[in-house]
Amino acid sequence: MTATLSETATLTKIDIRNVTKDFEVRDTGGAFTALRGVSLDVREGEFLTLVGPSGCGKSTLLDLVAGLTGPTAGEITIDGTPITGPGLDRGIVFQQYALFPWRTALANVVFGLEAKGVPRREREGRAREYLGLVGLTGFEERYPHELSGGMRQRVAIARSLAFDPDVLLMDEPFAALDAQTRESLQEELLGIWGKTGKTVIFITHGIDEAVYLGQRVAVMTSRPGRIKEVVDVSFDSREGDLRADPRFGEYRHHIWTLLRDEVAAAVVQERKVAVPRG
Amino acid sequence: MADVQTGTRRAAGPRDTVWREPAGIGQTRRARPEVVRVASKAIRKSAAIVLLLALWEVLPRLEVFDPVFVPPLSENLAAWYDLLLSGQLLEHFQASLTRSLAGFGLAIVLAIPLGLLIGWYTPVADLLMPLLELFRNTSAVALLPVFILVLGLGETSKITFVLYACSWPILLNTVSGVKTVEPLLIKSARSMGLGPIRLFQKVILPAAVPTIFTGVRLAGAYSILVLLFAEMVGAKAGLGYLIQDSQSSFRITDMYAGIITISVLGLLFNLLLLTVERRFSTWRT
Ligand SMILES: Nc1ncnc2c1ncn2[C@@H]1O[C@H](COP(=O)(O)OP(=O)(O)OP(=O)(O)O)[C@@H](O)[C@H]1O
Ligand SMILES: [Mg+2]
Repeated sequence: MTATLSETATLTKIDIRNVTKDFEVRDTGGAFTALRGVSLDVREGEFLTLVGPSGCGKSTLLDLVAGLTGPTAGEITIDGTPITGPGLDRGIVFQQYALFPWRTALANVVFGLEAKGVPRREREGRAREYLGLVGLTGFEERYPHELSGGMRQRVAIARSLAFDPDVLLMDEPFAALDAQTRESLQEELLGIWGKTGKTVIFITHGIDEAVYLGQRVAVMTSRPGRIKEVVDVSFDSREGDLRADPRFGEYRHHIWTLLRDEVAAAVVQERKVAVPRG
Repeated sequence: MADVQTGTRRAAGPRDTVWREPAGIGQTRRARPEVVRVASKAIRKSAAIVLLLALWEVLPRLEVFDPVFVPPLSENLAAWYDLLLSGQLLEHFQASLTRSLAGFGLAIVLAIPLGLLIGWYTPVADLLMPLLELFRNTSAVALLPVFILVLGLGETSKITFVLYACSWPILLNTVSGVKTVEPLLIKSARSMGLGPIRLFQKVILPAAVPTIFTGVRLAGAYSILVLLFAEMVGAKAGLGYLIQDSQSSFRITDMYAGIITISVLGLLFNLLLLTVERRFSTWRT
């Protein structure tokens, strides 16, 4: 199913056109360019992973797609319409979960449904259903501080899925988890993606994770970030241990090579910033 | 609060040990120390107070203290009982409580909305914060003569005085509660399309409640503290008046009866507010 999707679905869902993002620098009043001339098509229903050196602007790009900030130049469209602000057609999952600590797991999922204006009677049933989908039946009444990191991230995923966005934006959602939990959540996420057919943009630091999850892996340059290359990832079959597939190693090595130069550049850049001028 | 927590944590320890041991002798062997431990803890916690009360009884009788100025505890308690029977205590108690609660209640009603406004709207903060900084650093007690001058010696000046003193902890905690909401939560709510009003109602407000309530609890303690002072300066009723009046007319045991009442009242009030506060912040770890 994965293979057919990537071959047939060529409809553009999100079109990022020549996007530049500057931040104002507080003390000098100058501009700090986080992204410069980013262009990327995200196809309808695809799972796109995004990798790049730290500080290259991945989160910034995700914020732009989410509509939380606007680009300095360029344009982002979703289904052909320019993005002007946040909306429930896009759901975000953050690395630090961002659950409301005063709400139970169930009430956290209900939050998105309230935002969407789902009738009160339907909210709870739907929230339970999505908590079930991420394997949290029985934990509905727990507060976030009573859940493990993996469970919290499941709640966050359930919350984003429950209001049924077309696009799921995920910013290193599994980075804070241990290896086993991460792998089982990766598995579940792929399952959910297969079932729901949502478009996913997934930021990660892990090359393995990027290759394992993504149908395409977009590699960014060091800051100011651009898209360096988009690598098509396709396997003959996703059955069995994908990580043992020789092609997995090839993709992995290719992306690693692309990243290596950028990471080196990023390190040099950081040193330059660290040395005080004048 | 911290005591309670360490208490429960310690209590969990031996139970764990019992769990791992085979049932039978192990349990009975552990059960006795459990009782002893709880009892010894109760003793430890009340020892200082019991000692103070005992000394209060004994030292004046041994004339270590002059029993005229520090009568033995039992005599003070007898005076307290007499005041209770004569209805005087209730009258003073009611007068004080009414003023305290009125000032405290008004402070909650006024300071919370104002604090929310200042915390949320930067222009309002820019406008009011310098003024608030100035007044905050002016002791309420220093302003009491002004209150009396402007509002007279009656109830209005006392309630206003309590209102003024109670407003600060509530106001400042509300402002900081609103300002220190985790930015990621705001970002997350905004990403779900919440506008400013719903963001405030569904994220800012619930996130700030525990901080606000800490301010309310502090204000509760202030309300009794400053009122007492106001009643000592000028009043015809109230526990502060009772204490001051008994002292100046040399009814020393009545004075101590008033002091005992006020400290018990303060203790109970704080306990009540602590209980409510805990209910509001169960989700805080
Ligand atoms: N609000 C902001 N104001 C000023 N500078 C910002 C702001 N947000 C991000 N930046 C800067 O923009 C650059 C890109 O940040 P961003 O968070 O997008 O990086 P990232 O690729 O997500 O990094 P990481 O992999 O470490 O999460 C960084 O140098 C950061 O300091
Ligand atoms: Mg980031």
